[in-house]
Amino acid sequence: MESRPPAPAPASRQVDLDEKLRHLPEAARAAFRRFRASGAAADLDGVIFAILEDFLPRRTEPASRIAQLPGDTALMDGLGLDSLAITEIVFFTEDLFGISITNEEILRVRTIDDLRDFIRSKVAARQAG
Amino acid sequence: MPPLPVITGLGFITSIGNDRAAVGRSLRELHHGFEPCTFLDNPALPVKVAGTIKGFAFPSPNWRDWQWPATHAIDRETLRGLAPHGVYAVCALQQALAEAGLGPDDLTDGTTGLFCASAGSPYLLGQFLSQMYASRGERGNPMGIVSSIAGTLNFTLATLYHIRGAVCGFVSACSSSSHALGYAMDEIRLGRQQRMLVVGAEDMNAESILPFHCVRALSLNPDPDTASRPFDRRRDGFVGTGGAVALVVEDAALARRRGVPVQAELLGWGQAGDGYSVAISHPEGAGLREAMRRALADARVAAPDIDYVNAHATSTPAGDRSEAIALKAIFDGGARPRVSSTKALTGHGLSLAGAMEAGFCALAIAEGFIPGAAHLEEPDPECADLNLPRTSLDEAPRLVLNNSSGFGGSNVCHVLRRPA
Repeated sequence: MESRPPAPAPASRQVDLDEKLRHLPEAARAAFRRFRASGAAADLDGVIFAILEDFLPRRTEPASRIAQLPGDTALMDGLGLDSLAITEIVFFTEDLFGISITNEEILRVRTIDDLRDFIRSKVAARQAG
Repeated sequence: MPPLPVITGLGFITSIGNDRAAVGRSLRELHHGFEPCTFLDNPALPVKVAGTIKGFAFPSPNWRDWQWPATHAIDRETLRGLAPHGVYAVCALQQALAEAGLGPDDLTDGTTGLFCASAGSPYLLGQFLSQMYASRGERGNPMGIVSSIAGTLNFTLATLYHIRGAVCGFVSACSSSSHALGYAMDEIRLGRQQRMLVVGAEDMNAESILPFHCVRALSLNPDPDTASRPFDRRRDGFVGTGGAVALVVEDAALARRRGVPVQAELLGWGQAGDGYSVAISHPEGAGLREAMRRALADARVAAPDIDYVNAHATSTPAGDRSEAIALKAIFDGGARPRVSSTKALTGHGLSLAGAMEAGFCALAIAEGFIPGAAHLEEPDPECADLNLPRTSLDEAPRLVLNNSSGFGGSNVCHVLRRPA
């Protein structure tokens, strides 16, 4: 997929986000609401960890445990995600934060910290723009 | 001794039961699996009945909302790539493998293959394409294609069980899983594989069933107790169903070495086309007659020796009549095997039908009964000469014929035998 302009924000956007978020734990949904209100990057982690937990191959590691894992834990070899799951996570976060991620950028995201840093920088760039 | 394919494991997720015991009970007692159904929230639709699958729910295309019986464990990693009928299939295959005494490590050395049949998931494909249209191609669920297209069963099940033998899907509409079973038998008989897993499945929803209303093939009878009545004078179309059936087929010598019971032997199969119509069966059942003849020849069985025929008969006016004519042509020497269509109880499972009914035939052989012709009150005069028992019989059939027909006049028959 080629890079594309930041996702537009049509009137239906809020409805879509509610639908996307309804499977995440309330704590993660609250973190997302705080992020939307304040734009504070500190609230991103609670959302990112919950998304990762949602895509784990088996329901073994709750989000609170993912937060305890070393930041250099690999998404594929460490968490057991496959490339399709990572693609799903990328699409999910693109929609959630109105950011755009290219194929080349996806390939550079290998660890939990890579994903956190990457989303933070993308969100910051969007806020600045 | 040349290889002899035998069935050592059966798994059922069907409208008449979600395990072997429940299905056997329904077949013996002629309990149907139909419920009133409002498709697409439209009470104006004249199609009112379906063979529902109990204990499962797919309220949205999102797998996180799906429900299945707690007796079956499915990891999220697997679930993400499944269609609703894939969930049925995983459950049915778990049952079949357990019955055959097989664990995951027994399937990965390349001597086990997997043949599947489904029409894919029109439901998920529709959702996937809607998302693509709405985003003008910029967005799509990465799992959308593997979960929705025909082939989704073999993609996902082969991955789940690390199958390294022959893996393939079969597409011949309502004879699809009969083809899968027939070619699985050949894989074993040709010595290419020692074991084949055969799985047929279909979604049970408006997207899979209502398209048949567009060709006026579905019953408009709102009464679940009579909507499906194959061979009856007042039949008016089929009742749709979904679900999954899994069969473990292996070489008899391997089953003997492993010490597992054989449910039924698969003696032979045959197929033949009608070459007649894209949707309607040949009026004299020409292709089905030839498919039966070829199956009997392949099995080296004489027609008079067949004890029971599980007919394809879906309860459509034209199809049942042409099958009756074909049956009378094959069994013309005074031999009159028992005949019933278990679709009177289950509904028509489309791509699933052939494997489901082969599973029923194996159950009948293993447990010593013949399923009755349910809901038959007044036989169509053209079908009246058939030996249609109104109740299930405590007769143990030795040789059984299983018929299937699909769009384009694709006819497939299997011959099953009780182990000596």
